[in-house]
Amino acid sequence: MTPSTRYDTVAITLHWLSALAIVALLAMGWIMTDLTPGSSLQFSLYQWHKSVGITVLALTVLRLAWALTHRPPPLPTSMPAWEQLAARLGHLGLYGLLFAMPLLGWAVVSTSPFNIPTVLYGALPLPHLPGLAELPDKKAVHELLKDGHELGALALVGLLCVHIAAALRHHFVLRDGVLMRMVPPLTRAAPPLGDGG
Amino acid sequence: MSRFVSLPLVLFVLAASLATTATTPTPALAAEWTVDPARSRLGFAGAAAGAPFEGTFRRWDATIDFDPAHPEQARALVTIDMASAATGDRQKDQALPEADWFDIKSHPRAEFEATGFRPAGGSAYEAPGTLTIRGIRRPATLPFTLDLKDGTAHAVGRLGLVRTDFGVGQGEWTSPQFVALEVTVRFDLIATKRR
Repeated sequence: MTPSTRYDTVAITLHWLSALAIVALLAMGWIMTDLTPGSSLQFSLYQWHKSVGITVLALTVLRLAWALTHRPPPLPTSMPAWEQLAARLGHLGLYGLLFAMPLLGWAVVSTSPFNIPTVLYGALPLPHLPGLAELPDKKAVHELLKDGHELGALALVGLLCVHIAAALRHHFVLRDGVLMRMVPPLTRAAPPLGDGG
Repeated sequence: MSRFVSLPLVLFVLAASLATTATTPTPALAAEWTVDPARSRLGFAGAAAGAPFEGTFRRWDATIDFDPAHPEQARALVTIDMASAATGDRQKDQALPEADWFDIKSHPRAEFEATGFRPAGGSAYEAPGTLTIRGIRRPATLPFTLDLKDGTAHAVGRLGLVRTDFGVGQGEWTSPQFVALEVTVRFDLIATKRR
C-alpha cells in the first residue's frame, strides 16, 4: 500500500489556522510595540496578542500530538539527502519556535511590572506562569525575556521566509507536488502534480 | 460594626433632656437611618487606556445618624468591602484586589467618616470627614443632596479623588499614562428612619 501523498484534513486545518494566527501575531507585535504607550489601541492589541499567542500554543500542542500519531506523507525521493535533512531541521525549528514563543510571551507577561491579569478573549482567565510573578528581581528577568521574545520573532520571520520560499520552489521550480500536499481539500481542483515516486 | 449612638447613650440623653430644659450642648435625640442596600448604589468611575469605565462596590455598610433639625450633629460612617469592587470587566476585576491597587489582603476595607453636615442651600449639604483607603487617611468633604420624604431619605453625591493620594496604583501605575489619576466615587442611597 502506498502512503498517502497528502496531509490529512486535520493536519491541513491546524497548519493554516496556525499560519493565519502567526501572521496576525507578528503584525500585532510589530504595531503594538510602536504605538503610544497607554493608548486604547495599544492596550487592546496587547490583549489580542496574548489571546492569539496562547491559541497558537494550544494549536501547536495539538499539531505535535497529531503529527506523532499520524504519519505525515513522505518527502519526494527526488529530494537530495541534504534537502531532506534541511526540511526536517527547518520544521523542527518552526515547531520549536511555535512552542517557545508563546511560552516566552507568557513569561514576559508573568514578570511584567504592570502585573496585568490575562483574560483570553476577554473571557477565559489565564494565570501567570507559576513562580515568575513572585521573583525578587522580576524586572531584570522581564527585560531578558522580552529580548528573547523579540529575537524569537526575528528568528521566526527568517525561518518562515525559508519555509515559504522552499514551498514555492517545490511548486514552481521543482514541480514535485510538495506544496499541494498542504493545500486545503476545497481547492483541490488541480490533480496532485506527482506522488514523489 | 460600631454604632455611634448606643442604646444606653440614647437613654441617657433622653433622660437628660427630660430632666432639664437647659440649653446644654448635648446631642439632639438620635435619628438613625437604615440604608436599603437593594435600592442604594455605591460606585466609582475612572479611565484606563483611554477608555472610561465604571464599577460598583457590592458590599458596603453605612451608619447614619442625622436629624434634619440639627445637621451639624450628624454623623456618618461608611465602610466598604474593597474585595467587592466589580467593573464587569474580568481583567480589571482580577487586577483591583492586587497589591498594586486596592491591596485587599492588607487593607480589606475603606472607610468614610463624617461629622456634622453643612447645609449648602436647598437640599444640598456638605459632609466634611475623613476618607481612609489602603490605610491612608485624608480629609475629604463629600457634597451631596438630600431629599426627605415620609421617613425615607434619598441622598445622592459624588466625590472626585486622585487615586495616588491613597496609593491606589503602585509602581508603574503611579503614572497617569495608562490609568487616569482622577477617579469619581458616586453614591445614590435610600435610607429609612429607624423607629
